[in-house]
Amino acid sequence: MLNVPVERHQLPNGLRVNLSLDQSIPIVGVNLWYAVGSRNERPGRTGFAHLFEHMMFQGSANVPKNRHFELVEHAGGSLNASTWFDRTNYYDTLPSHHLELALWLESDRMGWMLPAMTQEKLENQQEVVKNERKERYDNQPYGDWDERIQALVFPPTHPYHHSVIGSMEDIGAATLEDVAEFFSTFYVPNNAVLTLAGDFDPDTALDLVDRYFGQIPRGEPVPPLPGTAEIPPVIGEMVEEEVMGDVPLPRVYLGLRVPPLTSEGFHTADVAATVLGGGKASRLYRSLVREKRVAKDVLAYLFPLQTSASLLLFWVTGFPGAKPETLRKALLEELEGLESVRRKELDRAVALTETHLMRSIQQVGTRADLLSMFDQTFDDPARLNAEVDRVRAVTRSQIKDFGTEFLGPNNRAFLTYIPGEGQ
Amino acid sequence: MTGEGVPPLDRSKAPASGSVRSFDFPPVLTSTLPNGLKLRIARMTRAPLVTIAVILDAGEGLLPDESAGLAVLSGEGLEGGSTSLSGPELADALEGIGSGLDVRTGWDATTVSLTCLAERMEEGLTLMAEALLRPAFPAEEIDRFQSQRLAVIRQRQMDPGSLADDAAAHFVYSDSVSYHRPLAGTHESVEELCPDGIRSFVKDHYRPSGAGIVVVGDVEVSEVEALVGNSFGGWQGKVAERREVDAKPRFAERRVIVVDRPGAVQSEIRIAQMGVSRSTPFFFPLKVFNAVLGGAFTSRLMLNLREEQGFTYGVRSRFSHRRGAGPFGISMAVATEVTAPAVREAFAELEGLLAEGPTDNEVERARDYIAGVFPLSLETTTQVAARISEIQVYDLPVDFFATYRDRIREVTPKVALKAGGATIRPDRLTVVVVGDAEGVRGPLEDLGLGPVEVVSPPWSLE
Repeated sequence: MLNVPVERHQLPNGLRVNLSLDQSIPIVGVNLWYAVGSRNERPGRTGFAHLFEHMMFQGSANVPKNRHFELVEHAGGSLNASTWFDRTNYYDTLPSHHLELALWLESDRMGWMLPAMTQEKLENQQEVVKNERKERYDNQPYGDWDERIQALVFPPTHPYHHSVIGSMEDIGAATLEDVAEFFSTFYVPNNAVLTLAGDFDPDTALDLVDRYFGQIPRGEPVPPLPGTAEIPPVIGEMVEEEVMGDVPLPRVYLGLRVPPLTSEGFHTADVAATVLGGGKASRLYRSLVREKRVAKDVLAYLFPLQTSASLLLFWVTGFPGAKPETLRKALLEELEGLESVRRKELDRAVALTETHLMRSIQQVGTRADLLSMFDQTFDDPARLNAEVDRVRAVTRSQIKDFGTEFLGPNNRAFLTYIPGEGQ
Repeated sequence: MTGEGVPPLDRSKAPASGSVRSFDFPPVLTSTLPNGLKLRIARMTRAPLVTIAVILDAGEGLLPDESAGLAVLSGEGLEGGSTSLSGPELADALEGIGSGLDVRTGWDATTVSLTCLAERMEEGLTLMAEALLRPAFPAEEIDRFQSQRLAVIRQRQMDPGSLADDAAAHFVYSDSVSYHRPLAGTHESVEELCPDGIRSFVKDHYRPSGAGIVVVGDVEVSEVEALVGNSFGGWQGKVAERREVDAKPRFAERRVIVVDRPGAVQSEIRIAQMGVSRSTPFFFPLKVFNAVLGGAFTSRLMLNLREEQGFTYGVRSRFSHRRGAGPFGISMAVATEVTAPAVREAFAELEGLLAEGPTDNEVERARDYIAGVFPLSLETTTQVAARISEIQVYDLPVDFFATYRDRIREVTPKVALKAGGATIRPDRLTVVVVGDAEGVRGPLEDLGLGPVEVVSPPWSLE
């Protein structure tokens, strides 16, 4: 049913360009994926990819500080960016007659960011990012869970061992030389995908893309990831960590390695996650929350990751005074019982996926982001249209095998938060 | 590709814009069923989807303190199923069509909605009617929702951001106004709620006369009318005449209150006061005023506190318009050691804006921003349905969103300032800081905004 049109091009400097036309609403989404994220950071510079993303908003050769935001907001557009394990994306959504503005801004910083960099701007954004870390991690109950889970699931030498936000110390240690080096290594057209979705004239748009981005020189091929990307498909043992502290309710996190986004097994993991923890008819909700009432809430989330493994995460929050052991036991019972999966549960997963995707692509920004993702990951943006079919193709026996292979005791990282004294 | 006649690219200045394409809010077709239910339909054919939303006159705003949380718990209780479908059966049926009930209760209404493929509209409507018209509220399930709600209240008390929101509401509004308490109630009130109370609330408030249903998507109007008639036509009853929330502030003067969290690395700051209701004639001018102050990335607060000083990851200001006078507030999280300077700068920006008014350029930018991003938030059936629901909740004219951008463009600097000045009184703001009292108290006192009082929840000031 999904039928997102996409026309692919590539500029001589290596920039991949996708055009997805939808003229039913006079807006356009401009989306750039750079294939660089926290996995590319070297020791001592954790959090740098994200700090760098902030620096990308500090101006470029022809755009003074704050001007980028001013111009886009004045044009009636919205913009932002995000940094993740494998990529950094920048996205603008604007009234369609301002398409050229976004192309000018994005190309100016892709090509000519460095002349605008100053120590003052770097220090300002280091403070902003330190505050972001405090707000999201340090001053927040359970705030550091992802840092701890990543460290348990991936070995110290693996690029996913550390968090995207990075350590306070490393954020503070970054220099202008780091900015320059990172820029010339990773922010090159041959390491990026540009997608336009929405209302534009394809010929004019392609011509504009060429005018604005065509002059940016191709960079060197991106260096291999630091550390050791090769790891076994499962953790190999059961690891546990307990944190006593400033949290209102006991909560158990379970992280495990599952097949990466780029592998055949990924969709099986995706369907298994939905069967177990997606929605109120899921097994975990029904059992832990509705029937046994051991949990206040439960969640399953599959991180779609590219490098050697994805991370499948469960979390179970208990009521006041709940024993973590009870939560762990109830969770494991459902994981171990997955072999009884029925056809109807798979159909439910397909229906939920289909509606979810259909809803997502209504927004030109999300549509563009998905196309960039499929291009960067699979060299095939149109793969988006086959997503529901891939989910539909997952069989009961694949789910059973997945349970045997990945949900066993040799692939479990438990992180438990226990309320401290007086709570 | 630079062909003949194309001038070389001049990167030094921003390119001119292309030709503007018009944007129209989808036409809304309004009708009333014999039972009083208002039906509003908007066609949107961008995707083969439909969103159905039922808006019930069942908000928290008019409930007394002792039953605070009743409207929220009633909405959550719908998950318990109907007289003919158990809770698990209802969930199975909804998720089987790739959907799910989204229940949102606010001060002014409860909205129950779902989105599914347009070809499943009939099943969606049937399930929605089943859940809403014949809810069972089994005692066991209510007990569960109650425990979950109490656990959420506990979580809010330990989350600095939520704690700051709740403290600000408490210290801004008088005890006689529902807005002084957390939307979903307090531990004491929620503990006392029971299935009978829920049934009685639902009997009085989940009624077609006084309610609305909004259907947005790739659908035929005649089909929607027929299906809604089938599913909701037999629903009967009328809600009581609506009273208004009579909002009053707690204090007549400025207060500075620190909610102590010893050792906190950051302070959650709220600078708030009673604002104005949704029916204010200043609705559009205040949108513009607020965009200049703290409602956009390039607002005065953001440029100063984030981009100049690096005090915070983000700061924003907003008016929460409700049927009664909801709050105006500035919120941010900053490091403990810069708490007082951040409060000082926020006051300086607010007072400066009120003294001198926004510049012509700022107002032009704000108008263009608000008018320009308006269609950006109307891409999905869910977004459009949410907007149309506001027409029901706030008795807005049916062309409210069709003329929204024109109304924004009419706002002048003078009118924006007048609206801000009539609404915000810096000498009556309440400053709430959730943070390490030992670290922030002295510097806050030195600002001279007023005496600094330190409290711990539950609030025990006065």
